[in-house]
Amino acid sequence: MHLIETRDLSYTYPGNVRGLDHVNFIAPRNARIAVIGANGAGKSTLFKHFNGIFRPTSGSVLVHGEPITRENIKEVRKFVGVVFQNPDDQIISPTVEQDVAFGPTNLGLDEETVNHRVEEALRVVGIEHLKGRVPHHLSGGEKKRVAIAGIIAMEPQVLVLDEPTAGLDPQGVRDLVGFINSLSRTYGMTVIFSTHDVSLVPEVADIIYVMHRGRVVAEGDCREIFGRSDLLSSVRLDVPVLPKLISSLRDQGVEVSMAYTFNEAERNFLAAYKRNG
Amino acid sequence: MIEDLFFIEKQTYKKSLIHDLDARVKIAVCFAVIVAMVAVPYSPLVFPVAVTFAVFFAALWALSRLSPLAYVKRLVMILPFGLFIILVQVFVQNPYYTVFTPIADLPMGLHIYRESIEFATILLLKFLVCVSFIILLSSTTRVQDLLEGAGRLGLPAEFTLTLGMMIRYIFVFGYMYRKINESLATRYFVPFDSHLPYRYRLRTIAYTIGTLFIRSYEQGERTYTAMLCRGYGRESHLYIRKKPLFRKDHAFLAAGLLVAVCTPIFFWVSWIGLI
Repeated sequence: MHLIETRDLSYTYPGNVRGLDHVNFIAPRNARIAVIGANGAGKSTLFKHFNGIFRPTSGSVLVHGEPITRENIKEVRKFVGVVFQNPDDQIISPTVEQDVAFGPTNLGLDEETVNHRVEEALRVVGIEHLKGRVPHHLSGGEKKRVAIAGIIAMEPQVLVLDEPTAGLDPQGVRDLVGFINSLSRTYGMTVIFSTHDVSLVPEVADIIYVMHRGRVVAEGDCREIFGRSDLLSSVRLDVPVLPKLISSLRDQGVEVSMAYTFNEAERNFLAAYKRNG
Repeated sequence: MIEDLFFIEKQTYKKSLIHDLDARVKIAVCFAVIVAMVAVPYSPLVFPVAVTFAVFFAALWALSRLSPLAYVKRLVMILPFGLFIILVQVFVQNPYYTVFTPIADLPMGLHIYRESIEFATILLLKFLVCVSFIILLSSTTRVQDLLEGAGRLGLPAEFTLTLGMMIRYIFVFGYMYRKINESLATRYFVPFDSHLPYRYRLRTIAYTIGTLFIRSYEQGERTYTAMLCRGYGRESHLYIRKKPLFRKDHAFLAAGLLVAVCTPIFFWVSWIGLI
């Protein structure tokens, strides 16, 4: 049974604007899934269906095999945690501690458990030192972590991150990559995220969905998606710089194996260098 | 006005004996003084009580190591609200006196009465003492601590959550307002620049205010969605951890309540001639 599944999901915004068009999406257990697409491709609209914020115009959304209903909405929101693009949308409390505690408190947990979850979520995200701070004194990256901690504290099995790298500096992006990978490896969570930053995707995704104008136009792993440069160009995206460079070198007769991540590319370049040297 | 928000916040982050006290204790003492001051009947008894409370306030302000100018600045901001009502009292009779002695006759049948001046002075003193203690409380206690303190003192959960969100988003909109101002300044728009046509300036300011309203509305929608994602419902409340009071808090509470309660009683007993 998949953790999240959409079947022919369509959504139309008021004003007859098509947001999603027959989207079929599957999120298996312990997977890292990237949803890539240009602005307005429908990524955020799709994410808002995962925990019942939006109701499908047609088609269905199944969470743990069950359709989302009024009766199970609380369980669904506990199961699927959504982190929004702008942390100011999500951080509602006057202090970091209170904000991280907001979700667990809503789950009706006792004070001791709430306190434990807050401590744990702050530790996982690495912001224990920000516990007593007020959100408007934090940097964009710190606020993003607080927003993530607020969701982690609810202990969801699926973490959905909408444009998590937006507004982060390079170190912030590196930290986030490590964090997403650790959630999957250490805690066995399924992480779904959207991004425009295609170079980040090979480092953090096992499965990639490409969206364009509300439709899923391609799905697969890095090799399958980033090998189709024509498709990516047609949806206003690009191939990441490493496979692009290797592709160009190969076209010019340099024998180097294709790679998508930095480590893989380093290994392949060194091997090619040793072969030729 | 928005900048004053950040000014007040800056004051609360300073370090002093008063700043370090628990918010509950400060709220209790502040409100005890206000209740005591308001409870003193409209009579000359108010004068010594108000002077004693003013001395108490001055001592606390000195202990807080805040600049007297900071107090004056905030008082000047608040004063117009009360001053107008107090000034009107000079010209009208009030129910606290039976005999009114005119000391000046003004055109349009207006009179200034000695009793009305006395009443206005009493009102002014009450107003100044109450406002001063509110300024002290809000200048030495971080707004989030005030909310937590109020919550620990029993403020209902419906209020703490709503007030907590208000505190959070006041600052969000404070920064938003700053950004809008900066973007106008970047393009050389100064609202008081007389070289620009009056109607143009008015229209630009109106657009800016409109934009702020629309952004507020959109922010509200996004925030509500995010709250739903975290299980927001009828039972939602702000998480406020238990916190013990320390010896210094107990000591300040005892001393503060002693001053607040004993001052009016002492002067009242002197007034009726028991001392």
